[in-house]
Order: sequence, then structure tokens, then C-alpha cells
Amino acid sequence: MKAFPTQEIGSLPKFSWRTKPFRQMALTDDDLEAARRWGDLLQVDGRNDLHRLLSKRYAFTDEEKKRIVDFSLLYAIRMCETAGRGLAKEPGLDLVWSGEQARTEMYETPVSNIAGFEFVGRVRSFDNKYWRMASIRSAPKYKENYHLDELLFTKENAERKVKVPVTDAITIMAWSDNNYYTGKWADKAGLQPSKRSFNARREFTLELAKIIRRVIRELIEQGVEEVQIDIPAATQYQSEDDIKLVAESFNETTKGLDATFSVHSCFPPSVGYGILFPHLLEMKKCERFSLEYGNRDTFERGLDPKSRVGFEDLKLFKEYGYKRQLGVGVIHIHTDTLPSVEVVRDRVLYSAKVTDLPPENLYVNPDCGLRTRRPEIAQKMLDLVVGGAELARRKSG
Amino acid sequence: MRIELTEYQVSLTGLHARNEKTIQATQDWERSRINEAALKACFDKDCDSLVELQRRVGAEYVTDGQLTLAWQDLFRPISSGFEGLEPGPMVRWFNTNTFFYTPIVKGAISSDGKVLSRAIEKRFVNHGSALKIILPDPLTFSELAEDRFYGSKEKLLFAYTDAIRGELRTLSRVGVKYVQFSAPSLVYRLKQKPFSRAGLKQLGEALRNALKGVSLRSGYYPFFGDASPYLPELLDIIPTDDVGFDLTQTDDSSLSATSKGVIAGIVDSRTTYLEDVASLASRVEGVADRTGTKTLTLAPSADLRFIPRVSADEKLELLGRLRSRVRRGRDAHGPSAPARRGAK
Repeated sequence: MKAFPTQEIGSLPKFSWRTKPFRQMALTDDDLEAARRWGDLLQVDGRNDLHRLLSKRYAFTDEEKKRIVDFSLLYAIRMCETAGRGLAKEPGLDLVWSGEQARTEMYETPVSNIAGFEFVGRVRSFDNKYWRMASIRSAPKYKENYHLDELLFTKENAERKVKVPVTDAITIMAWSDNNYYTGKWADKAGLQPSKRSFNARREFTLELAKIIRRVIRELIEQGVEEVQIDIPAATQYQSEDDIKLVAESFNETTKGLDATFSVHSCFPPSVGYGILFPHLLEMKKCERFSLEYGNRDTFERGLDPKSRVGFEDLKLFKEYGYKRQLGVGVIHIHTDTLPSVEVVRDRVLYSAKVTDLPPENLYVNPDCGLRTRRPEIAQKMLDLVVGGAELARRKSG
Repeated sequence: MRIELTEYQVSLTGLHARNEKTIQATQDWERSRINEAALKACFDKDCDSLVELQRRVGAEYVTDGQLTLAWQDLFRPISSGFEGLEPGPMVRWFNTNTFFYTPIVKGAISSDGKVLSRAIEKRFVNHGSALKIILPDPLTFSELAEDRFYGSKEKLLFAYTDAIRGELRTLSRVGVKYVQFSAPSLVYRLKQKPFSRAGLKQLGEALRNALKGVSLRSGYYPFFGDASPYLPELLDIIPTDDVGFDLTQTDDSSLSATSKGVIAGIVDSRTTYLEDVASLASRVEGVADRTGTKTLTLAPSADLRFIPRVSADEKLELLGRLRSRVRRGRDAHGPSAPARRGAK
């Protein structure tokens, strides 16, 4: 098996020609030029058809909008499959996805397609970044499979192995307003206030897990082999009960399903990922944890703890005797400031050093999805992932 | 025996949610679709409407919501504006889906004393209501900052409060009337043991250091956790005029008598679910009985920025209704037996 295989984490930025038609905005010359330039760069099949389609500039029909989305999926797949050109002898990520181009984003898409939710407004996550919060107003119910079409398209068009990211129940619960279950538990006498709110979270989560299991089962029936369960909120609620619930929710979601499962999480509280241990390891079917580390690291070269301060938390896995796979986030995704490829190499090598995992068990990836970056920066980040992994491969022999 | 009736007040306890127009404006501004003046106009209107709402519900101390870019997180004006500090890695804010930039301590902490007064909306000072500012408490600062300079929590606590003291004096001079120290780190302990009594005493000293020569009313508000492990000592050790409790996490039965004002974080700031006023009123009356406080401030359990603005405002209105109800109850029945206010 290949040492230091590479993967993306999920989202990629959307081009303006992908978003404007859905906002009823006319495309400009710049938008068309970007479609042409990136199409040429990525060698996207049928890019001239896209250009002809986009030349209409506004008032796209639903059918035309669907074709535009399909092209954005193609662009994203090619971006993954060509990453590292110019930096690496073997460009391309080993595990690819279509950049969540068909999704509004990782939260809004599932809650829009599960009955029981209502959108109530935007909430600030940090700086000027917000998410549209949905409120659960009745017990959630399956409506339709919200990932099937994009999976089928991606599988048909990707040359590399596909990994489909699916937002988990904990995250949907944590990012939603738990109106219904809070009300349901509000009048339960004899419970501490904190226990009431935990019970409300647990019931909501486990109901969602059943729905997500059905979504994934249908994807597996269509031939998907690898599923990334996205749990960015794994470290949000941090009590012992809540961390146990993260594992319980994962096990409930994957119960009876046969695929390779990985978990992605990111941006823990200041105490780090230690908060998740040991319950993280109770996720029975999880083959790989893909976590963010680049955010907290320095831009200095080196394999010493001071230079690689962001990766100290990895020691936890060794302490707990972890032997399966890890995906290490080597690129901070909330800044346009990029590390050198040598720093990325050192981040990879240091990760191998502190975890004692064989290089083929150590995946290399950006910290998180790249949707908040411009395409030019996202491309450079993926290039660095591929280039840094290749340098590490050479160095480690 | 002197018998006094509890005075019920209402106040916000954290950063408020921006309204949809402001949200859109911040995004348009980031994409250079509008200029800074247009963005400021949006913030101004947003602050105006929030202050107006606080006045309508009868808040004695109003905040400007700390809505602007200066307050991207609770630390930001401090981590960006104080000497010796800079914003570092982005980290989750306790158990929320919001994030802050870790204050990195790179040198001796100091300020020109005007950093915070530049970050508040001074036009609300003395316009019919008293302005309140909400700051990170010294403990939360020292727990969440990355110290690369002092090498000791104690030194960091006191360096922070030395700098804050100058800021508070300026705030007082420009007409601010109240400072609340937000203290999630005190009670959000999870796997860690509660701070020791010695640790609490040190915190009390640090707060005393911050408030020395400062003529503002002050409050200490721990939230996101259960304060009961610190009771009743907390009420004696913390030198602020008011001390608060997140009652979505702290059981009412752990509260005890105090001569301080009490901030009751009774309305859940983490959900749009609107609590039943009658149930809340019953709890509030119980808190008043247990604590015997003269001033009971009805408050959201934490920042209302964790839910959309419309819902955040509904929570504030709920607090207004709650206050009317408990006041009516108090005025109709007087102090319940055993007679309690100032009974010592």
C-alpha cells in the first residue's frame, strides 16, 4: 500500500458561475472567463459546452441550472484528481469527492431534506461567517435521499476512488435549535437542569441517526465503498455523557452497514481532542479519524515539538494504543497564508513520528473542507497536500 | 428586623445576535459590495433597535449588544488592541458552534486605557439608560490565553487586571455605568475538578485589582456550567456588587443567602424554545427566597448570539414579561414567609 495517501475532506469553493444563476444574478465576463480558464487548466471534458451554456448569462431554466451544477461537480473532481501538478511527480489525491458542489452546504442540505425542521435565521459562527440555523419543531422524519444524485454522478465521472462525506446526527443536532425536544423534556420533574437538556440532545440525536443510517444504506446499495462521517461538532458538547453520545450516535448510524467508515472532526476547544478520549475509540466501525491540526501549528520547518506544536495532540492516539488509520490535517483552511511544501512535509513526518503508525495508515489532508477559500487558494492547498505527502514519502524512504 | 422587597431587574449577559440586515451587510462588505460607511450605518441601526428593545423591557443597564466588528469575539478588542497580545489560532468557544481567536501573550500586557472605550457605542451613554460593558473575567482570560511570556497563571491574572483597570477607569469617565465579567471558565470544568478555595481567593484578588479606584457597578457572571461546587464561598470571595448563576446548569437548591445582587440566568439562551412564564416566575420567586437578595437581575443564561436575532429578541421580551409578573406577585403579596429581604 502507498505511504502517506492523500484525501480531501469534503467541500471545495463554488465558482461564481455556479452560484450566481441560483441567486438570479447575471453572469459577467469575469465569470465566463473563470469557467474557461479553470476548465482549460483542469482539462474538464465538455468545457466548451459549459461555456456555451453560460453565455446565456441569466434566466437559466431548471434543466440548465442542473447542468451547471453537474459541471461544477466535474470541475471539483478534476481539481482533486489533478492536485499537486507542478509540485509532485504523481499528482492527484488518492480519495476524491466532488467538493459538495451539489449541496447548499453540509448542514443546510440534510436539514432541508429531513421533515420536522424549519429555518429560523442566521447565527454567527465566527467573524462574519454564519450558518442558517434550522429549528426542530416535530420529530424528524426521512423525506428523501439527499446525496444519491451527486454520488451517482461523482462515481461515474471520477477516475480515483470516491469517498462520500455525510453529515452526522451529532452535528445536525448541535447546529440546530433543539426547540421540540427541549419542550418535551422541560416539564420532567426531578431532573437536574443539565440532565434535562442532555436528554433532549440525546433523543434528538438518536432519532436523526436512524434517518442518516437509511441515507447511507441507500448510498452503499449504489456501490459506494467509503463513507466519511462528518462530525465537526464532536467536540462541541463536552461532558462525559455527550462524548459517549458521539460514539453512540456513530455506532447507531453505522449499525448493520457494510462499508469503510472514517470520521472527520475539527476545531476542538482549547483543551484539544483529549476531550474525546477514550470514547472516540468506541466507534466500532471507524477505520480512520481525520482531524485538523495545521490551524495550531507554526510555519517553521522542523521535526521538533516546538516547530510542530500544532500536532502535539496526536500523541494521544499512541497513548491509547491506537493502531488503525489517521488523517492528519496539515493545512489551516481559514487563512490564505500558506505554509511551504517543506513545512507540510515536516508536518506529515512529525505525525508519523509521534503516532508510530506505519506511513500507509497515515492519510494527509487539509484541516477541513475548503469552501471558504477562493478557488485559487483551495487549489494551492490541495497542491500542498499532494506535494508535501510526496516529499514525506521520499524522505521516509 | 428590616424587611425589604426584592428589586427585579432585567439585563443581557453577553454578545447579542446581529440582525439579518447587518449579517447581509457584513457579507456584502467583505465582498466589497458596500463600503465601510454603509456597514457602519447598518451596525448603528441594529444597535439602536437593540437598545430601544432593552429600554422597552425596562432594562436598567443596557448594552450596545457588542455587535460590531470590534467584538468579533469577546476577546477581540483586547487581543487586538492591548500591547503584548495578539489573536492566535481559532478555537471553539466552550460547547457552542462559535469560535474565537486565542489571545496569544507575547509580551507584557498593557494598554493606553482607551481600547475598550473605542470599541463601545458611546452615543448610548447617558441617553436615558445606563450603559453596561461585558468583558472576559481574569480567570477565563488566563485559562484560554496562550501564555508565551509570563510563565505563571498568577502573573497573567494580575497583568490582565492591571491593564483592565485603566480601561475601566476610562469607561467610567466616559459614562459607562456597569461592567460584567463573563466567567465561563470558572464553571465549565467537565473532567477537571473545581478550582480550589485558594484559586478562588486569587481570582477575588485579581478582580479587586481590576476594580481598584473604578466607580462602576460590577457583576461576575459564570455560565455554561454548574456553580454549586463554589457555593456559598463564591458569594463572599468575589468582590463584585452582583454575582450570577446560569440556572440552566445550576440547581436552584444550591443557592444561599447573600447581601449581593444576584444575576439569575434563567432564560435558556441556547434554544428558541420559549419557556413558560408562570414556571419561570415560580423559580425566580424561589431564588429570591433562597438568596434574600435585594436586587435580582433576570437574564438570559448566556449570550443571545447563539440563536437568530428574532428569537434572541423574543427571549429578551420574555424576560420583560417575567419581570412584570414577578413584580406584580411581589407587590400583591409582599415578602413571603419567612420574611427575608435584608433579614440579617
